[in-house]
Amino acid sequence: MKLIAKYNRVNIPITIGILLISSIAYYFILHIVLLNQVDNDLQIEKQEIIHYVNEKGILQEASNYKDQQIEFTPTSLTHFETKLTNENIYNKIEDESEPFRRIDFLIKENGNYYIATINKSVQETEDIVRLILMITLLVIAVLLLILFITNRFVLSKLWKPFNNTLEQLKQFNLSAKNKILLQPTDVDEFKELNATTFLMIQKVSSDYESLKRFTENASHEIQTPLAIIKNKIELLLQSENLDGAQINVIQSLNDAASRLSRMNQSLLLLTKIENSQFDNTERINFSFILTRYIENLEELASAKDITIVKNIANDFFIDLNESLAEILISNVVVNAIKHNYPGGNIKIDLGANGLSVSNTGTAPKIKTSELFERFKKDSASGDSIGLGLSIVKTICDKYDFDVSYNFIEERHVVKIAFI
Amino acid sequence: MKILIIEDEKALSESIAEYLAKQEYHCDIAENFHDAIRKVEYNDYDCVLLDITLPDGDGLKILEQLKEDKKTDGVLIISAKNSLDDKIRGLNLGADDYLPKPFHLSELNARIAAIIRRKNFDGKSIIQFNNLSIDTQSKMVTVANNPVELTKKEYELLLYFISNKKRLVSKEAIAEHLWGNDVGGNFDFIYTHIKNLRKKLMDKGEVDYIKSVYGMGYKFSD
Repeated sequence: MKLIAKYNRVNIPITIGILLISSIAYYFILHIVLLNQVDNDLQIEKQEIIHYVNEKGILQEASNYKDQQIEFTPTSLTHFETKLTNENIYNKIEDESEPFRRIDFLIKENGNYYIATINKSVQETEDIVRLILMITLLVIAVLLLILFITNRFVLSKLWKPFNNTLEQLKQFNLSAKNKILLQPTDVDEFKELNATTFLMIQKVSSDYESLKRFTENASHEIQTPLAIIKNKIELLLQSENLDGAQINVIQSLNDAASRLSRMNQSLLLLTKIENSQFDNTERINFSFILTRYIENLEELASAKDITIVKNIANDFFIDLNESLAEILISNVVVNAIKHNYPGGNIKIDLGANGLSVSNTGTAPKIKTSELFERFKKDSASGDSIGLGLSIVKTICDKYDFDVSYNFIEERHVVKIAFI
Repeated sequence: MKILIIEDEKALSESIAEYLAKQEYHCDIAENFHDAIRKVEYNDYDCVLLDITLPDGDGLKILEQLKEDKKTDGVLIISAKNSLDDKIRGLNLGADDYLPKPFHLSELNARIAAIIRRKNFDGKSIIQFNNLSIDTQSKMVTVANNPVELTKKEYELLLYFISNKKRLVSKEAIAEHLWGNDVGGNFDFIYTHIKNLRKKLMDKGEVDYIKSVYGMGYKFSD
């Protein structure tokens, strides 16, 4: 949920609630104030009537106007509390009952008591209150609308530095070494965000760099002891009188050392690719390199009784480092030989759609999407170290090539689209 | 034949020396930069094995020194770095070959043999083993003057065997020599190459020199 939506979810009901309650209160206060006014008028009217009686000794005439009626009713009461009441009186002309305010009080004329009643229409007052309320509500509604619209624009403008930073972070790629460009802003919060982001990225980048250097150095350091182990094994093998059990031990030692050595070399290669040690990209004749590589491997394939069918377009040029091109081809093609069976075949196509290498083989037992991950390998291929495809992927990622692996119709298919 | 091994790792230089000694090479060992500089200055070697990452100096400086002194020693760089830059720099400075660690002693031996063959070029491009002779210049193989038609890999295999004659050469070392170190895994397919090579030689009346040893590798001997 967006921040503004979350804010509005709280803000709108509260605003509307407060407006409703205050409108109701406003209505009643206005009503009371105006009613007070009417009551004052009625009191003045009462004083006038009393004054008239005191002056002239007689009651003034009863009157009957549309908005004010005065009448006198003889009474036997000698005591009567003045009272103010509301009343609805039916208006014949307009055929509706209208609200009136009524005052009843006792008046004495020549020893006779009368109840004087003054009815004063409050229709207009009511109308005014409603009108005022309507106008107020309308103004508030318009205000609210304008507020929301401006909020939208102002807020999206206010959040712009934040969104910019976010966008930069999304595009940030640690291994691609691209710098992020944070837009300067005068908002303190965003300034702090940018400063923190910048520091964090610097720290992460330098940590990543030192980790990569460490990996590379460690891999280099491992090579010498590995060389010693392998060479000592080789010397041991030259002994004339080894028995079967000893041979088995030596064989296992040798296999393990070789595995370790291959793994180390592949890891080193991955680190080197990531450390951009193969950065000089050049326009290379990929067809030529591929053909040369396949020719070199043809005897190997035939020793394993595997046929290579190739369909390679001439002079297919791409921008790539030549060493990486060889590593790429070697990994894909050697995989196709390694994960094959005697009597199987390999199809290699190079054309406008890119490179496609497919080979017969048994179905992989793990998800095909996972095969690009480091050390992920099909359990069936025990002699593989599980780094070949991840080297291919690392190279392809570096050059934004699209690489895919699928198992279709009993064939392993690796496709690389050079975009 | 005199070889100088410049390598700070004692265990490694000893293994190399032991293997090479049996190939009738005389080996000197230099464990550090200064020792190495002194030795190359006062002696002439057929081949110098140079580890370029020495604790007390840049191995490539020794190479420069050799070239300055106009020495004709063959130089084989052995490096833990397997870096393309180092390789190119080394070869540009006049090194003959570059071998990354870890390596097979048989591979090292074959490379040294190739360097020495190239250095002593004067008419010595023919390797003789009983009736078998290999002309490394024209890549011709003959058995008692009968030419043998070998494929590129079979030729390389034979040369590798001859360079390491009377030694056990592991299947893995053969596979890596022929196909580079990325073929990995199971090396049983080497048998097909061996079988073809053996058949071609025996068809010309040659003795079977290639013997399988312990199932781990092969030995070329009479």
